[in-house]
Amino acid sequence: MRALNTAATGMMAQELNVQVISNNIANMRTTGYKRQRAEFQDLLYEHVNRVGTQTSSQGTILPAGIELGSGVKTVGTPRLFTQGDLTQTGNNYDLAIRGQGFFKILLPDGRTAYTRDGSFQLDAQGRLVTAQGNVVQPGITIPSTATSVSINSQGQVSVTLPGSTTQSQVGQIALTNFLNKAGLESIGDNMYLETPASGTAQDGTPAADGFGDLQQGYLEQANVQAVSEISSLISAQRAYEMNAKVITAADQMLSATANLSR
Amino acid sequence: MQNSVLIGLSRQVALGRQLDVIANNIANLNTGAFKSDSALFEAYLSPTAQANGPSGQNNRLDFVRDRATWVDWHQGPLQQTGNPLDVAIEGKGFFAVQTANGERYTRNGSLQINAQGQLVTSAGDPVLGENGPIVFQKTDRGVTISKDGTISVRTAGSNQEAARGHLRIVSFQNVNQLQKDGNSYYAAPKNVTPDPDKTSTIAQGALEKSNVSAVLEMTHMIQVTRSYTETAAMIAKQSDLQSTAIDKLAAVPA
Repeated sequence: MRALNTAATGMMAQELNVQVISNNIANMRTTGYKRQRAEFQDLLYEHVNRVGTQTSSQGTILPAGIELGSGVKTVGTPRLFTQGDLTQTGNNYDLAIRGQGFFKILLPDGRTAYTRDGSFQLDAQGRLVTAQGNVVQPGITIPSTATSVSINSQGQVSVTLPGSTTQSQVGQIALTNFLNKAGLESIGDNMYLETPASGTAQDGTPAADGFGDLQQGYLEQANVQAVSEISSLISAQRAYEMNAKVITAADQMLSATANLSR
Repeated sequence: MQNSVLIGLSRQVALGRQLDVIANNIANLNTGAFKSDSALFEAYLSPTAQANGPSGQNNRLDFVRDRATWVDWHQGPLQQTGNPLDVAIEGKGFFAVQTANGERYTRNGSLQINAQGQLVTSAGDPVLGENGPIVFQKTDRGVTISKDGTISVRTAGSNQEAARGHLRIVSFQNVNQLQKDGNSYYAAPKNVTPDPDKTSTIAQGALEKSNVSAVLEMTHMIQVTRSYTETAAMIAKQSDLQSTAIDKLAAVPA
């Protein structure tokens, strides 16, 4: 019975849906996390009676044919790069992007990764690094004698040195953007890699050419909305249960057939 | 006497098919813009039964035949997503999509931008505007899609709005001629051409959900299983009747 397989595809799809939702909820408090969504599409149809088939020599045609669908498939789990809320942290090296763009990070293996998580720190050499200690590109070194550090919305990093009343600029934070952000590959640690689907990276400066501006002392929260995740979770769970019911129904019908011969 | 078994069988075959349709609807409960199918049955009068009937009268035999599946085109509920590339159609229109197999139509408006800057469906096929695929520049931001399908963006360096095309929304005189093609696409038969649709409105930041009514499908499913079991019981009774008849009538006195 086809219904058994069809319902099985439905159960698998909803299982994946719950998996995606649970990952969103687990990352509700992850800085710069962007939520994912499972996208479904119907599977191929068997056209038992094609629409528009002639039913007589007088030219009458079938107004509706018999189309039997074979279930559902997951087509993708695109990430939604909408802006998350900014929360104030007061930490000098916490940066939030308000608008488009990613920070560029150099991974230990030489690859370049991109992130929206701006919870940066200084390493032993005074370099600006991520929470995992990967260097932010282009490298910015804060002199150890600096008494105050300020990063303005255009990404210019300035420090005040002892004995000086004016600030001197020590670096410029750059941002990178992609045409298709949903095409980036997630590698965990809040980081993404460039792929053929994302398009090539376009570097730029904050607050110019469509890039967002920077907010010092703020962090971007995850863009997960608890209410919508919970309501999708409920609907996914119910859909799963209903697919299970279809399997039970198909099973009952099969057993009725099996009991015919005694 | 065989006829009652055969009529029962025709009913069971039809019910099996109806369950297939219900299973597909339920599997697509969360598929964007999915339109539910319903099975349609008709009575099939058997002419041979009329000619060779045992009693001459009252011998009409109605077999069940599955006639068609028809698509319920009513609008699915709109879910607010806040994603600028999610668009829903309110009305009878369809988006036109360019696929490898030719032009297809869909109402699933969960769109994306591919590496070439084209507006594509989640399966990666370009969505057609009035003048072919809609292409964005690398520096475009703030995509706005108006109610009539006009796409505009903020260009780099300035806060000017620039048009990037106009979504081609089409409708069909007889929408039932469309065939479901999988991937949330519909295919139009060769002799059917779509008309431009001016009445539908586009809602940005929203998605049309599946229009499958879970409660309705569940009740249909219960109905299907019950009638199937009843028919099975009826067939079993008939078979009992036959075996009793064979036993009794053919009992040869010793």
